[in-house]
Amino acid sequence: MTATTIVDVKHLRKVYGKANEKQYEALHNVTFQMTTGEFVGIMGASGSGKTTLLNILSTLDQPTAGSVRINQQELNQLRGNQLADFRAKEIGFIFQDFNLLENMTAYENIALPLSLQNVSAKKARPMIEKIAQTLNINGILAKYPTEISGGQKQRVAAARALVHQPSILMGDEPTGALDSKSAKDLLDTMQSLNQQQHVSILLVTHDPFSASYCQRILFIKDGQIGQELKRGTKSKEAFYQDILGVLGRNEQTGA
Amino acid sequence: MLVKLSLSGIKSRFKDYLVLFSGLVMAAAIFYMFEALATNRSFIKANATFSVAPFVFQFGSVLLAIITLVYILYANSFLLSMRKHDYGLFMMLGAKAGKLGQLIFLETLVIGTLSVIVGLLAGWGLTAVVGHLLIQRLDATAAHFNALYWPAILITVIFFIVLFILMALINQRTLRKTPVLKLLKSTAQPTHVAVKPIRTAVKMIGGFVSLAIGYFVMHQIGVFQLAGIGIALVTIVLGTYLIFSSLFTWLLNRLQRREKFTSRGLNNFILAQLNFRIADYNRMLSMVALLFALALGAITTGMGFQKNIQTYTESAPYDVVLHNPTAETKKAAQKIDTKRSSQYTFKVKKQQVYFVREQFDQAPLYVQKNWRKDQIIPKYQLMSGKEMTMAEAPSWQVSLRDLLLPRDFQKDIKLVDQAEFDQLSGQSHTVKAIVSTDFFANLDAIKKTTQLDQKQNHSPANYAIGSTKYDFYQIMNSVLSGLEFMGFFLGIAFLAMLASCLMFKILSGAASDRVRYRMLDKIGAQQRLLRQAIAKEIGVLFILPGIMGIIHVLFGLQMFTVTKLLPEAYHDLWLPFLIFLVLYGLYYVLTVKLYQKIVLTKEP
Repeated sequence: MTATTIVDVKHLRKVYGKANEKQYEALHNVTFQMTTGEFVGIMGASGSGKTTLLNILSTLDQPTAGSVRINQQELNQLRGNQLADFRAKEIGFIFQDFNLLENMTAYENIALPLSLQNVSAKKARPMIEKIAQTLNINGILAKYPTEISGGQKQRVAAARALVHQPSILMGDEPTGALDSKSAKDLLDTMQSLNQQQHVSILLVTHDPFSASYCQRILFIKDGQIGQELKRGTKSKEAFYQDILGVLGRNEQTGA
Repeated sequence: MLVKLSLSGIKSRFKDYLVLFSGLVMAAAIFYMFEALATNRSFIKANATFSVAPFVFQFGSVLLAIITLVYILYANSFLLSMRKHDYGLFMMLGAKAGKLGQLIFLETLVIGTLSVIVGLLAGWGLTAVVGHLLIQRLDATAAHFNALYWPAILITVIFFIVLFILMALINQRTLRKTPVLKLLKSTAQPTHVAVKPIRTAVKMIGGFVSLAIGYFVMHQIGVFQLAGIGIALVTIVLGTYLIFSSLFTWLLNRLQRREKFTSRGLNNFILAQLNFRIADYNRMLSMVALLFALALGAITTGMGFQKNIQTYTESAPYDVVLHNPTAETKKAAQKIDTKRSSQYTFKVKKQQVYFVREQFDQAPLYVQKNWRKDQIIPKYQLMSGKEMTMAEAPSWQVSLRDLLLPRDFQKDIKLVDQAEFDQLSGQSHTVKAIVSTDFFANLDAIKKTTQLDQKQNHSPANYAIGSTKYDFYQIMNSVLSGLEFMGFFLGIAFLAMLASCLMFKILSGAASDRVRYRMLDKIGAQQRLLRQAIAKEIGVLFILPGIMGIIHVLFGLQMFTVTKLLPEAYHDLWLPFLIFLVLYGLYYVLTVKLYQKIVLTKEP
């Protein structure tokens, strides 16, 4: 393990159901690493365990066995408030359904993670304006979520996820509720965030097009990481074809 | 099959139904509790000496009915919001709208009937306990008070059955008219409220003017009489509503602009929550503020009457007067913690009663001072035998006459020196006047002694022209303790109603808040912060109507001081306020706990 490893998952297991009930193993011996500045995708069909994995990585759920380190911090050692603080400081999260607070303006939504860390209003303003600039939403900061489009909402959500400069950005199907144009815009933005600002991104998706933006893809099936695909120097289109190929083969063997 | 599905739906959301059910039970219980008094004409007649009492109770009944109606409507929208999704699902699976209509009709009625039955039982128990406690605590004479009162049961049942049938019809209609897709999707989220400066200013001015008129009319109640109550009622209701819909929204907006405040923790989130809440709660909060005022007012005036009893009791100079005490009476009198005791001898002739002047030099007599302006009760000074001149005759003669038994009241009072007294023929009597250190602390001993004295002298036990503290106490207590009882009883009923109403309205919004708090949890807000946010948000919703209510009461008490009904209404206000606020506070804590449980419990 090098100092630049941002995510380090070892022998992760997650079992649902109590000991005396019928048990279901959602994750089975999952191990992988991610280096700082990487753009990694996790792909899998519904029920493959990808959401469970993301919930554990984002400290929302606890594993049954195994270890997870994010930015050198072993998650098992954190309890209660420490977990919440860890989420607030280290992780930025984008959800499929945006999860913006509809009774607060875009600006206030973005400011939320900062005020959770009690950053003063004076210090917060330039940070918010900067991230808004990056995501090209400075024109709608005073608007409420109901007054803006889905694509804009997701940009606001992304701004909220990034404003406090977390060590990693996690996305759970962030393009799932967007039209194809907005989806492409968002993915382009994420790509440039990754390439220019060196933001580490972990993207969970089942959409091959979204996945083709990643540098590396882990395919998860029945709770296990089956295959790994690297983009290397390939074009996005060629990578997209590769992904479709893997998905196709997975379908065949699964049938 | 559908019935089975519907039942399983109820089972799966049992907790939510429990909240709904207990709310309805509470409403029925309180309604019954109030009606048990309001419909009991013989109770009102026996206990309220003023003629407007039946009117006050009828008015209270109507008010409570309106509040219950509003309450039930909230409860119903809560029920509907819980069932909407299920029914949408059934429809999508091919259930016929008519069948579902029957189902929701039945469901509403079953819940309604059950809650009325349980509510009546609870109401009976509540009425008995509260009634019993009050009668005991207040030494009240609540004649004709019955915890189990049939007319009240009948009215409660009819009222609620009508309400629930109405509700069932509304629900049926709503379900049939709403498209399936809308049933499946959750209701629209509340949004922010923009402040329109001019409209807000107009509302605010209107609110203050209305309140000012109301307060002024209450102060001048002597001039406006019954019309004044009507005017005050309208203007204060209007004023309260206008203030809520302008001043508080405006204040919140001001606060939202202060970045130093909003950038700390979840402050901005709390403000945003409150902002749309208050717009949504305007009517609710105004109603709660008024109920708060009524409840607090009722308890305060109730306690005011208690003070009246004390004040008027203290207006007699002596606690007990014994006439030719026997050994038994003397023994009983020894139990009284005595501050001052004077014994005088007298002889009774056909037209005159003779006292000995020297005895008053040794033990001066309490004589009433001249009446001054603004004085509420008489004041006394000690007068010695030398001072009891003919010029001062009327005052000391009155005092001496008060010491005699009723049969001697008509005779002239004469003062002679010892030698002359000894010359007089006839039997010598003694009278012993006792002042205790504290009347109310010695009430039991004083009561016993007085009764012995009355029995031995064959004077009627309830004669109304007695002049000791105990006599005064008896008269005032019989007149006022009924009123006091009513005040407390009404106060508690109103409080229970308003607090459950507020609690229920807040809880019914909890489901939609769950998403918001879940999201805050995901982005890393500590549980402690989330709990605080809930406590603060609900706290404001409780405090605002509380403040308004207290202000209303402070002005409303004017009616009682101006009319001299409760001359010292503002004295010792803290006690009823404290009792009331503690009860109100308990409701607050309960609401916060329930809310936190609903909102912060993670779904598996």
